[in-house]
Amino acid sequence: MTEPLLRIDDLHVDITTRDRTVHALDGIDLDLAPGEALGLVGESGCGKTLTALSVLGLLPAGGRITRGRILFHGTDLAAAPEPVLRGVRGHTVGMVFQDPLTSLNPTMTIGAQVAEPLRLHTRLTRAEARAKAEEMLGLVGLPRPAERMTHYPHQLSGGMRQRVAIAMALVCEPDLLIADEPTTALDVTTQHQILELVDALRARLGMALILVTHDLGVIARRVDRVAVMYGGRIAEHAPVRPLFAAPRHRYTQALFAALPERAPDPARPLATVPGRPPVLTTRPTGCRFAPRCGFATDLCRTAEPELTDGPDGGRPADRTAHTFACFHPAGPAPGADPVAEIRPPAPATAPPRADAPLLRLTDLAKSYPLHGGPFARRRGAAGISAVAGISLTVRRGETFGIVGESGCGKSTLGRLAVGLEAPTTGTVEVAGRDLATLRGGELRAHRREVQLMFQDSAAAMDPRMRVGAVLTEPLVIQGIGDRAARQRRIAGLLDDVGLPRGAVDRYPHEFSGGQRQRLGLARALALAPSLVVADEPVSALDVSVQAQILNLMRALQREKGLSYLFISHDLAVVRHVADRVGVMYLGKLVETGPAEAVFDRPLHPYTRGLLDTVRPPDPASRPLGGETPSAAAPPSGCRFRTRCAFATERCAAEPPLVGRGAGHVASCHFPLRG
Amino acid sequence: MIGFLAKRLAQALVVLLLVSVIVFVLLHLLPGGPARAILGVQATPQAVAHFNHQQGYDRSLPQQYLMYLGRLLTGDLGESYRLNQSVGSLLAERLPRTALLAGLSLALAAVLAVPLGILQAVRRGRAADHVLTGLAFLAYATPVFFLGLVLVLVFSQQLPLLPAEAPQADTVGGILAEPAGLVLPVVTTALGIVAAFSRYLRSAVLDNLGEDYVRTARAKGQSGTRVLVRHVLRNALLPLVTLLGLYLPTLFSGTLVVESMFNYPGMGLLFWNAAQGSDFPVLLGVTLVVGVATVLGSLLADVAYAVLDPRIRSVP
Repeated sequence: MTEPLLRIDDLHVDITTRDRTVHALDGIDLDLAPGEALGLVGESGCGKTLTALSVLGLLPAGGRITRGRILFHGTDLAAAPEPVLRGVRGHTVGMVFQDPLTSLNPTMTIGAQVAEPLRLHTRLTRAEARAKAEEMLGLVGLPRPAERMTHYPHQLSGGMRQRVAIAMALVCEPDLLIADEPTTALDVTTQHQILELVDALRARLGMALILVTHDLGVIARRVDRVAVMYGGRIAEHAPVRPLFAAPRHRYTQALFAALPERAPDPARPLATVPGRPPVLTTRPTGCRFAPRCGFATDLCRTAEPELTDGPDGGRPADRTAHTFACFHPAGPAPGADPVAEIRPPAPATAPPRADAPLLRLTDLAKSYPLHGGPFARRRGAAGISAVAGISLTVRRGETFGIVGESGCGKSTLGRLAVGLEAPTTGTVEVAGRDLATLRGGELRAHRREVQLMFQDSAAAMDPRMRVGAVLTEPLVIQGIGDRAARQRRIAGLLDDVGLPRGAVDRYPHEFSGGQRQRLGLARALALAPSLVVADEPVSALDVSVQAQILNLMRALQREKGLSYLFISHDLAVVRHVADRVGVMYLGKLVETGPAEAVFDRPLHPYTRGLLDTVRPPDPASRPLGGETPSAAAPPSGCRFRTRCAFATERCAAEPPLVGRGAGHVASCHFPLRG
Repeated sequence: MIGFLAKRLAQALVVLLLVSVIVFVLLHLLPGGPARAILGVQATPQAVAHFNHQQGYDRSLPQQYLMYLGRLLTGDLGESYRLNQSVGSLLAERLPRTALLAGLSLALAAVLAVPLGILQAVRRGRAADHVLTGLAFLAYATPVFFLGLVLVLVFSQQLPLLPAEAPQADTVGGILAEPAGLVLPVVTTALGIVAAFSRYLRSAVLDNLGEDYVRTARAKGQSGTRVLVRHVLRNALLPLVTLLGLYLPTLFSGTLVVESMFNYPGMGLLFWNAAQGSDFPVLLGVTLVVGVATVLGSLLADVAYAVLDPRIRSVP
């Protein structure tokens, strides 16, 4: 290996808050060669972002490097004074952050923000810096860069803002780009575009990359080497192919096994990782993963494993070799399914299912007035067409998945189905009764049947109500049972979702993300509904916890004969949980059908485009370009035609429904064959 | 932008109309009424009746209000009962003086509060922050009249540095010619505002320092000071602009006390004296002026905000 561009040696970082000190990083070693791409993966709180921030000396308040060196171009950044660090930041090391909505200054023009590093680090004049900034904006694929220079961040979409953030990080042509979850806040098609862009720019500028992400799918195709982090240490470190073919550390193995896209059989529950990551206020003795590991022995609980290339091996001299810190690693043979051994067995009985439709949406449409005010409707002002003519049925005991990108109207659809909003046109029928005809007590009684579960259950609960009150409230509103009966019911609910009964006396903020989703599910189930509309129920969770929640939802479905309308942007999750799926684009359902049929042999070019973003690169595929048009002025006919590779003038007319049998239909003029 | 302005102006007019109704009704509900106030307790019932008829006070309240509104539209604010002068000319004489006092106080408050607020934010949790926070709460909690008294006792009685009475000149120029006399009234009015503004700015700067865009700016290699000046300050000062506009009514009630305390011949003193003598037309006139100033203040704040914040500016 050539002389490393960046060498991190034995890095320790403490974070001190008022009442405690967290040993957040505990001995990190990493090397990065010029032009190389390294992925840092792990669940939230494992220290991957802190490692990245340490390089630039941008640790959060209370954060401090207590030991170790960060050699960049031979300079130790860990010991460097602030002026030296300032000379590195934005100049030889660029950084892109997660949320493009908040990481740009809202009151400064884009041109000024992109030119800022140039003015700081180079002797360019104002005009020269602006010219260079404009060139860079063109390079990151911002349309009409000259015009965009004078715009403000809020005038751009999320994807475009992230392009601006990348332009800002790259404008001084750094040797190293650090990207901290650069696509997590973006839609899948946009995510794909941004990662492609980073790849292309990396090749072109010859820079090294540190890509920090929780998303294993993102890492697989974008980096040369991966470091898997757990509890402030590196658990496993390997070139990307060997790691994905045969992970050795039991944590990496469990992480892969929990991925829905790696589950071979959707009928079986996902492998989960029980428990939670360690709180690092004290240095744990032994392997940090031991408390959650199915293979842990007394050795694991007493001695801390070092990074080695085998159970008896030492540390190889080559710091880029495949190493792992585990006493009982998985077998090295690639090809054998390393995760099979930790996958739980399939349940004995198949889920009961009836063909009776439970929820029937007919020609459902919802538009919102674009301008507020009391006269908006009368003026017939332009509206946002959030949902435009959707018809679908959800049968009893079935999971119907809705996939689509942000702004496609999937959440609106969920609220319409529950009856939280009235449709502009069309009907919602639950168990054969039209929601619009129900009034007063009947309507209230009906609400028991359909319940909602949210993405962020913490935000959806009153922070000043104890869990007991949160769960009792629906029963009180519906006038069910007396105090004792309600308490019994809540105890039963907590048992169902796997929370201790003592939870009733605690407040929502005292629970972890996964536990809160369990609470959200418990609240949704309090009234024994027949349909639960789950709006992105696992999007905020780490994969190991996500698998727990998905398994729980499925188990409860079997037990109680529930139906789910499962709304998500995550294709792998929907594929895993759903019996049938509907793909939404800009307020319309472009394709519906059995999950396997839609995912394996999509009819609609948009579905194909979505799937391509999560598949290995295929020369034959045509990745989706462009951005979703505004729902205030949707294209006529097929709303996807502005981004579709197959579109002709015919697509301006309303597309016909084409089918392939077994309920698999798409509305498209040029359906795909396959 | 034009549409936005027109809409806000229309709203402002409605608010002003409501203000005039409320003030009118309130004043007429007071016991005794203007006749007793003007003619004295000794006046015969006939004299009172005559006076009421002359002034139109024997008609129904809505009728009186409409008459008042009609006169208002022609610019006639009525005659002062006590000063034998039209309310219009009284206001024309007094308003500039109060505006001068209020303007100087606001300017002083802003000049002091911005650096103090920034200092508190940057030194958060350290001695400077604690001391300034303590002083701010002290200044905030001290009633204006008490603060004025203390200042007079210290700077005029104990150390005869400044006069205890405000300049009595007729014109704004004349008042400005005696700056020493202005110091105590202006400082008294401003101190409470300094406290409020600096606390507000402190939290606004702290909020903004925690924002992601600050981290981005640091990742570009900006120094702490430059991040503060180039990035944080503009975003943190935006809400203060609104606060400035909304502070006009508070400012007026402050000048009311300060003017009577320092015998400063402005609108506050006029109002004070009129209230003592049930001088209805004057009270109504001053209240209306304050109402207009309040509404204009919040209108200006909105406009300034729209000009300064690009996110608001581009909303149709």
